[in-house]
Amino acid sequence: MMKRILNAGIRLFLLTVVFAASPLLAQKNKPAKIKAAALQVEMIESDEIKLPAEFQVALYENLIRQLEKNGFSHVYRDGDRNAASVADLVVLHSTVRGFKAGSEKARQVTTVSGATSITVHCQFSRQDGTSLLERDVNGKVRFFGGNLRATYDFAKKAANVAHENFSSPERE
Amino acid sequence: MTSKSTTVLVAAAWLFIGLVIPVGNAQQVSGPVKVVQLTGLVGVKDNAKGTLSVENGQLHFVHGKTSSDVSASSIQDVVTGADSQRAVGGTIGLMSMAAPYGGGRVLSLFRTKIDTLTVQYRDADGGLHGAIFTMPVGTSEVIKKELLAQGAHTTSDKEPGAASSVSSSTPNKEQK
Repeated sequence: MMKRILNAGIRLFLLTVVFAASPLLAQKNKPAKIKAAALQVEMIESDEIKLPAEFQVALYENLIRQLEKNGFSHVYRDGDRNAASVADLVVLHSTVRGFKAGSEKARQVTTVSGATSITVHCQFSRQDGTSLLERDVNGKVRFFGGNLRATYDFAKKAANVAHENFSSPERE
Repeated sequence: MTSKSTTVLVAAAWLFIGLVIPVGNAQQVSGPVKVVQLTGLVGVKDNAKGTLSVENGQLHFVHGKTSSDVSASSIQDVVTGADSQRAVGGTIGLMSMAAPYGGGRVLSLFRTKIDTLTVQYRDADGGLHGAIFTMPVGTSEVIKKELLAQGAHTTSDKEPGAASSVSSSTPNKEQK
């Protein structure tokens, strides 16, 4: 009887150790962050999708702001000459892949319809064009706020992707 | 019979007023225009209310005691658009959402038309910036014309005067 209780205790202990250790192992397996001394954000492109100018500008401005908030101290704008001399510069090139304008009025009146959504393909690359990471990121506004709030949602998600995959020397 | 003709006359008068008021709103303005700067100007908070004017080759935005200038020659794109916003906004608009029997939703049906002005410009280092303004109907075209006259550029190939009629069919206008 005593032996059975002891065996069960050992099993329970081993099981607990395995469960507790799994997140630690998963963290170890995570790919190492790519070194990025600075980020340069290019203007959002929308050749295939017809995107209103205010959405294009709001996507760009919100993206820069959110990247700065996420700890990237050097975020250069499209065309900034100072970025040319930076080593380990990562260039973020974004292309709009999908856009649904939605309607703020429909959202406020019906709650269930009128959502605004935008899908942007984000490509992080080196200055020489070597691709480092590619991701589709979307932005949505379902209930509250104007249509442009979808650009803020996108920017937050894109900045999180950058934060998870790139390491800035200042953040370490 | 008399009351019937009076009703018809009153209805006709209201119809006439309804047709005339939007024309009056859309007329050209001179001097600073009341705008809301949604985002983009350096040193100015988002959703800042102020006045916008074009003077001496500069796009001049004044918000309280602070002001921001953008040189017209550094502007590489000016685009106007049309949008709408809730007639009852702000705190009252937010509180109305909690009104019983969908009262807040009914208020959402009443909307005022607004113009948007989107400007892309470069700073001294060549960095690209974008600023978005909302303003009363008919005023964005005036500012765009003034900016183009003072050296700003636009990628939009349509005539500035024709933009307001065209913009209503562009995706800039909110889906009703």
